Amino acid sequence: MNFYSPAADIVDTAPATDQPARLELRNLRKRLGDTAAVNGIDLKVAPGESVVLLGPSGCGKTTTLRMVAGFLQPEDGEIHLDGVLASNASFALPPEKRHLGMVFQTYAVWPHKTVAENVGYGLVVAGKKRAEIDREVAAVLDLVQLGDLAKRYPSELSGGQQQRVALARALATKPSLLLLDEPLSNLDASLRQEMRFELRALQKRIGITTLYVTHDQDEALVLADRVVVMNKGRIEQVGTPEEVYRTPASRFVGNFVGTANLLEGTIVNVDVAAGRVSVALDAGDIASARAPAGWLAAAAPGQRATLLLRPEDIRFDRPERPDQQTGLEVRFGSASFLGSRYELQLTAGDTPLRVQSRTPGTFVDGRARLWFRPNSAWVVA
Amino acid sequence: MSTAAYAGGSRIAPAGSALLRRLSSIQPVKLLVIGFAVFILLALIAYPLALLIGYSFIDAQGNLTFDTFEKAFNRRGMWQATVNSTVLVAFVTAGACALGIPLAWIVARTDAPGKILVTLAAGISFVIPSFISVVSWIFLAAPNSGYLNKLAIEYLGFAHAPFNIMSFGGLVFIEIIGVYPLVFFAVSAALHNVDASNEQAARVLGAGRLRTTLTITLPLVRPAILSAIILVMLDALSSFGAPAAIGTMANFSVITTKIYDLLKFPPQFNYAAAVAMPIMVFTAVSLLIQRYTIRAENFRTLTGKATSDQITTLGRWRWVAGGFCVFVVFATAVLPIGALLLLSVLSSFGADVTLSNLVTKHYALIFDPDFVARGSIINSLLLALATATVCAGLGLVLGWVVERIKFFGRELITFLVMIAYGFPSIAYAVGILMGYVNLFYGTLTLILIAYAGKLLPIAFVLIRNGIQQLSTDLEEAARISGAGWLRGVRDVTFPLVRGAVGIAWVLVFSLSLRELSMSAILSQADTQVMPTVVIQFIEDGAIELAAALSVVIVTVSLSILGLIRFFSRKKTALVS
Repeated sequence: MNFYSPAADIVDTAPATDQPARLELRNLRKRLGDTAAVNGIDLKVAPGESVVLLGPSGCGKTTTLRMVAGFLQPEDGEIHLDGVLASNASFALPPEKRHLGMVFQTYAVWPHKTVAENVGYGLVVAGKKRAEIDREVAAVLDLVQLGDLAKRYPSELSGGQQQRVALARALATKPSLLLLDEPLSNLDASLRQEMRFELRALQKRIGITTLYVTHDQDEALVLADRVVVMNKGRIEQVGTPEEVYRTPASRFVGNFVGTANLLEGTIVNVDVAAGRVSVALDAGDIASARAPAGWLAAAAPGQRATLLLRPEDIRFDRPERPDQQTGLEVRFGSASFLGSRYELQLTAGDTPLRVQSRTPGTFVDGRARLWFRPNSAWVVA
Repeated sequence: MSTAAYAGGSRIAPAGSALLRRLSSIQPVKLLVIGFAVFILLALIAYPLALLIGYSFIDAQGNLTFDTFEKAFNRRGMWQATVNSTVLVAFVTAGACALGIPLAWIVARTDAPGKILVTLAAGISFVIPSFISVVSWIFLAAPNSGYLNKLAIEYLGFAHAPFNIMSFGGLVFIEIIGVYPLVFFAVSAALHNVDASNEQAARVLGAGRLRTTLTITLPLVRPAILSAIILVMLDALSSFGAPAAIGTMANFSVITTKIYDLLKFPPQFNYAAAVAMPIMVFTAVSLLIQRYTIRAENFRTLTGKATSDQITTLGRWRWVAGGFCVFVVFATAVLPIGALLLLSVLSSFGADVTLSNLVTKHYALIFDPDFVARGSIINSLLLALATATVCAGLGLVLGWVVERIKFFGRELITFLVMIAYGFPSIAYAVGILMGYVNLFYGTLTLILIAYAGKLLPIAFVLIRNGIQQLSTDLEEAARISGAGWLRGVRDVTFPLVRGAVGIAWVLVFSLSLRELSMSAILSQADTQVMPTVVIQFIEDGAIELAAALSVVIVTVSLSILGLIRFFSRKKTALVS
């Protein structure tokens, strides 16, 4: 018996409209001590979808996850699993009745049970027959490539292997929703990178619905169908990894997901039809940038605007059809060689600028003109 | 098994069975178990203490009054007993510090020889209850027939016996030997934990060794010293065994022995409760001081390990310090243990120590089925078994509640348990007597209630620490896997804290065996335990029998404590 049918290798993640959302949060609120840890969150997760909650520590992402798991009860709002109420302020279905899988930051692999006992525990609790348990444990251990270690104790395993045990344990009961609470943060850097891609492949292969919490933006971009960027108990933006990175809804999102160069200026022209504005930058030069529709509607020449540019979108070569008039004049600060690229610290007027470049660039008297990759400049509100 | 298993629909109960789902959210088993444990806790600790306070402040007509205090303390000898208790506490505290602090420094920070022996001897002193020390020291230093006195007169040319254990000074000496290990262990542990970098920083800035010790090291271990002093004071104030044994012979009283007298027939509960009140107040104040001042200081980081460059080389003084160590080991462990063993096989106290005078008849009598001692051994073992089991079970549930559930009552539970810890045994026994005498008069159950309430804190603290070290994730992982509360505790929590539970069980068992002050008040003719029989033997002058029974107590205690090694070797609860 195979864990997945090869024919259906990739499961379509498009939300099915006739099915209820696998998870739905409605105006969820929770105070921890004096702070509003979660302050009004609405979110729907469709079956088969992988949603990542991304934010700095204390943004409420773990609190949200623990409310979904049933370890915390919301003070306001509702949690629905498959269209059935699981928690509100007066009712909380106990965690064991929610049919979830969860991978903990500390792995929480039970040290007194073997790998197979750990993985099979949920099936034992569910009252499955011995033979069936053995079969399913073997299948799920194969899935996470731990087939030969079934008889070992966790203390005999490496961190990465314990991580896989925790994942296998969470998958063994075929949960309707898999929760992952910063599962990779205790692994060393190279293993973490490797596990990211492996987790993503596994998620796609078996089509399990996933809610994943992390503060690591790279992890979020790799693993998510949709990223939910959170800050101070609220959602700042929900979108695909590309949307969140290229068209951040706020300065916070721009700064948290990737490195942001922010250039201030004054609007000289608004083109609502094209969705663009021209901005006279304080550092000199006039640049054209894309902007969110809502912001454009209220924009008018003479108002202030902030342009966001990613370090890799600023170049020394003038493109064929630049979005700028003269190029941005910058002053050299320092340069570091990072192997695949140079990391330059420059200043444009008074604004510090970080640029990633294949070449160290040429500076005359410590000055150079830089060009934005066409269509990369974006106005942040 | 296919992808559909994950992509498929819900297995959560449909909305139709809303009532059932609401019921399951209450978690009845959890509520029941926790509720029962809290009920037992209240019955064991809160109820008797409330009675105790009530009796001392409320007269027969139910009015609030201070008359009881006035009458109680106007009884003959009561003020003298209070003064005696105060003097005893002062001398014992000073003596324990004078002995414990230098020893701790020598052991933790110098190259003196014989350091390991000191730790061992302190452990032995700590395990031997003071009423057993009395037996040993009567053999060694009774005014006329004590063997040390005989030696001094015969070989060292003393005209009079130099030692007299049957005196107030003798009592102070025995109490110091019993409690100095508290100071010693606390201070040497603290000294071990002062990180070398603290002292090295001072040395780098130009302070000498002595200056560093005085201005850096000592202030860092001051919280440990203060904590130990408070424990020593409470211990001396509430001590009963040695004062009872020596006081009877030397004709003086302290507060605890007065309380005991007040409970002899006809028992005067309200006076006993009133007399116990000063001890209670002193205890409460001390614990508050400890909680709010010392603890605040204690949060200063004491982490790390003593390293070799913290060891002071004593040079010539090395042998002086070594001599001091050997003397302490000899006087506090070797002599008393040897005396006890010898006395238990000597034909009669006072007889010459020759091979022909060594007999086993005392042990034969101890185990004689028709003699009181055998029954007391069985009672003691039964009680120890029951107490250890009750305390370990209760400690597990309460420890879990306090560590895992965030609610207002958890502070209250901790508070109640710690009150029982600081509470003088003798006063607590009075409360138990008032609360449960009608239900359980003359039964072992009455004594079990007292033991369990008094020893619960030890089990609670140990098991709670075990649970504290256990990441909550481990239990939550069980819940997510579908296990209910009880199942999670059974499959995950208990196996992982088994080591702590085992150690708690062993400690409580061992402490139950040697409990005297509560047993003396609560036991009747049919419910004698080993310690009360030892005291009876001392008072009757059957000191050889007392020694033989004491050897039984010490042997069982030490061998059961050996089980701790077994429990700590298990590699449970290692992973957090």
